[in-house]
Amino acid sequence: MLTNYIKIAWKVLLRHPFYTFITLFGISLTLTVLMVLTSFLDHLFGSHYPETKRDRSLYIMQMRTQDSTRTGSSSGPMSFKFLTEYAKSLKTAERVTICTFVNSSNAYVGSQKIKLNTKYTDADFWEVAEFEFLEGKPYNEQNIANSDQVVVITDDFKKHYFGKTEASVIGKDVEIENLHYRVIGVVKGSPVTRPFTYADVYYPYTTPKSNYQRTGMRGGYVAILLAKKKSDLKAVQDEFQNNIRRIPLPGVEDGYKFAYVEVKSEPYVENFTGTLLNGNKGIKTIFFGVIAFILFMLMGLPAINLVNVNVSRIMERASEIGIRKAFGAPVRTLMWQFIIENIFITFIGGGIALILTLVIIQLINSSGMIAYADLTINVNVFLVSLLVCLVFGLLSGVLPALRMSKLKIAEALKS
Amino acid sequence: MINLTNIEKVYRTSSIETLALNNINLNIRKGEFVSIMGPSGCGKSTLLNIMGLLDEPSKGTVELDGQRVSTYRDKELARLRNEKIGFIFQSFHLINDLSVVDNVEIPLLYRSTNGKPRQTYAKEALEKVGLSNRIKHFPKQLSGGQKQRVAIARAIVGQPEIILADEPTGNLDSAMGNEIMNILQTLNNEGATIIMVTHDENMAKRTHRLIRLFDGTQVQ
Amino acid sequence: MIRHLLKLIWNKKKAHSLLLVEIWASFLVLFGLTSLLVYNISKYQEPIGFTYENVWAVSLRSNRDTTDLAEKIQRVLQRIKTYPEVESATQMSSNFPFSQSSMSNGVDYKKKHVMADFYATDENFAQTLNMPVTEGRWYRSADSVGKYTPIVINQKAKEAFFENELPLGKIIGDRFKVMGVVNTFKAKGEFMANTPAIFELLDPKSSWHDLFLIRVRPGTDALFEAKLVKDITLMVDEWSVEVDHLTDSRKNQHNLTLVPVIIFLTVSGFLLINVALGLFGVLNLSIAKRRGEIGLRRALGATGNGISEQFIGEIWVLATFALLIGLLFAAQFPLMNVFDIQAGVYLTAIAISIVVIYGIVTLCALFPSRLAARIQPAVALHEE
Repeated sequence: MLTNYIKIAWKVLLRHPFYTFITLFGISLTLTVLMVLTSFLDHLFGSHYPETKRDRSLYIMQMRTQDSTRTGSSSGPMSFKFLTEYAKSLKTAERVTICTFVNSSNAYVGSQKIKLNTKYTDADFWEVAEFEFLEGKPYNEQNIANSDQVVVITDDFKKHYFGKTEASVIGKDVEIENLHYRVIGVVKGSPVTRPFTYADVYYPYTTPKSNYQRTGMRGGYVAILLAKKKSDLKAVQDEFQNNIRRIPLPGVEDGYKFAYVEVKSEPYVENFTGTLLNGNKGIKTIFFGVIAFILFMLMGLPAINLVNVNVSRIMERASEIGIRKAFGAPVRTLMWQFIIENIFITFIGGGIALILTLVIIQLINSSGMIAYADLTINVNVFLVSLLVCLVFGLLSGVLPALRMSKLKIAEALKS
Repeated sequence: MINLTNIEKVYRTSSIETLALNNINLNIRKGEFVSIMGPSGCGKSTLLNIMGLLDEPSKGTVELDGQRVSTYRDKELARLRNEKIGFIFQSFHLINDLSVVDNVEIPLLYRSTNGKPRQTYAKEALEKVGLSNRIKHFPKQLSGGQKQRVAIARAIVGQPEIILADEPTGNLDSAMGNEIMNILQTLNNEGATIIMVTHDENMAKRTHRLIRLFDGTQVQ
Repeated sequence: MIRHLLKLIWNKKKAHSLLLVEIWASFLVLFGLTSLLVYNISKYQEPIGFTYENVWAVSLRSNRDTTDLAEKIQRVLQRIKTYPEVESATQMSSNFPFSQSSMSNGVDYKKKHVMADFYATDENFAQTLNMPVTEGRWYRSADSVGKYTPIVINQKAKEAFFENELPLGKIIGDRFKVMGVVNTFKAKGEFMANTPAIFELLDPKSSWHDLFLIRVRPGTDALFEAKLVKDITLMVDEWSVEVDHLTDSRKNQHNLTLVPVIIFLTVSGFLLINVALGLFGVLNLSIAKRRGEIGLRRALGATGNGISEQFIGEIWVLATFALLIGLLFAAQFPLMNVFDIQAGVYLTAIAISIVVIYGIVTLCALFPSRLAARIQPAVALHEE
């Protein structure tokens, strides 16, 4: 029965190539946009290289201090000392890493300039973030204790600095801002969209210019807390907040008298949206309103379009329906025919969208717009799209089918 | 009024040629009530289409009021149809989305009659066919006979000299059919030239002249 | 005829409602898109007011060093000026042109409160960026006498504070004395809105302003840049030095605006093509459905062109309904001054969207209506 339905559906599609084209165009366009979008969101927020443990990580990005009247506030990253005292000491966490956010610098090779991003980290960084080492190894506690001038670099930086060479560069010298470092490891780079781990050159925090000795609470450092398992996140968060409550208030920082301190440790998504919107209620509603509207239009317009074409076409096929009904096909069978036809075309559209998405993602990845972009169609994205596919098929299949089933035989035969 | 000489009509498809009309000569005088009869597919409708300037003959000439229309272009033909000819069809051809009065005033839309008089003329025409109490109804709310009366009102609203009726009683029972015939006869008495295609001998008997067609040829 | 079309559409309003919604939604999408485009194009048309080619931003960071910072910064600046490759150098606050940082403050003058971008610069700023001073002159270090800080304002700030008054010599915000006026200054590039800007003379004894803009001779390459960085780090070891070319920074700033616009443009472009195809299909089908009516109208005296005009007229009436509903929504934007964008931008966007929507529906109706005009009335009337 089902194969029979599909056979008929296939014939119907071929009989009206233009309408089949319109329908497929709408479906594949919507699904492609949706899939590229989800793929990009997944790229931004999902657990990917090298932050593969992101789902059990908490991010501490900034400290916010306010004066006693709460009129002004000041926020920014923290000092190494502060994070060591309040975050590194956490007992519920499996591991804690402290590193700087992204800094920028320049290196010069002959007449060529290399713009680069740098990061000062502790040894635990290499445990929290799972980098793939192409050559050598990370620096360890020993290197840090010795204040060794060593660096870990990315394959991309290696290519720019040492030229295209297959040979190992371990032990070679890198000069940045007049200081000389010994290459200890080469890793596959992290995309720029993951600022907690992204850099071209990683220094141990005890190398010069890292400012880790700063005594105040504010500085240039952030932290990632790794919980033992996902369910521990709450406990880690609570313990950290307990630590934060121990900060003596009121206090003074760089001449700024503050009465309130707020430091959040949050999962990545909340941390990201939190900084983007800065807690402002009004902007938040407008922002989400605009996003909702765009999504609604994106989904709604092709859907209306599809239903519109389908409804118009069903009248065109009214006589066919009439004949089938006259020969005794029950309404249910006809309904199924239409629903299956629509689901069928939706799946074809889904297939086209999948191919288009693969092409677009490939283009984004290889365009170099985002270095080390690793957009993929993962299982989640595909399942979500498939679900949307089905909703579409039913939406544009059931409504016209309902209308059709109400058609009287005589009327259908007549027109 | 209408003069047809040596009319021939051939329909061509890629493989077959069909001769629909063959050597038809016909002269219809002003004020006549003519009926055309013949079996299905004998070319009655084709003949009516040619007289109504909806179709061109393959050969022969059509004269309307002494004017040869073969040289006329689309625009002039449309004007002639609008002003001189009124059509009545077997299946009424009313526009379902327009009310009765809006249906009737359509011919006036294609000449520049203003809105107010348009409505007045349409109401007058409906009064003539006895439907002035149904002007706001929609075609779906009417019976077959009522629909055909609306169609007649539409045919006469522009006060044409010729009325072409293609089986006007074909879809109606005999009582309603008679009613329609009565209206047509009244119109004829008032001066309209009427040419009617019909299957019904009884209806044909009520006209002045009967033309019989068989396989595209005039037999009587 | 229009009344007739209105009746035809109105009596079929149920069947037309989906089409109506579709055109309405397309209008809103188009309105969003054109607003974005018009807004950015109107900004783009105003000059940025300075030249950035061959200008480098050299930023210093003192790191752990805390002694004699201001004095060291001045020493580095003097050293930079001695290179033959450097045509001009100026010291300023960290919000240099095309940078990510900005600084703004409210300033009061005669009960007017104006938010303005603040740039602390030294006397060589205008010369380094080739900024013409249209009224008065750029301030000099010697102007910093008494309790007033000399400032230069841009045209926009002049309009905001003074309207028709002469600005030169006026005191604003109790401590700023206006020395000159420049035309426009759009520090974040062409796509930045032209907003009020105030340049104030920086205090060379302050250690805050650790950024230099230098104009180098055309053709100066990375070799000199490397030498410059090396020399500076030799003078002040422990310090970090970073060099940005303004042309690169400008590109980054542009991408911030252009990338979202291009994504939006592509997606809505496809959406509109989608809608147009659908509309075309629906109209085509509706003509197939209305062959009888077309034949009848021809019989009653409509010309072929008359038929095709009728179909285009119908879709125009429908589009007009949809646009009227759409306008109810779109008009809220200029009325409520959403996102603080001038009403003119929204109005232009609305006008363009209306024209484009009429264009799209006409294009979609053109082919089906030509098809309708060619229908043979004799055939169409006898199909049933």
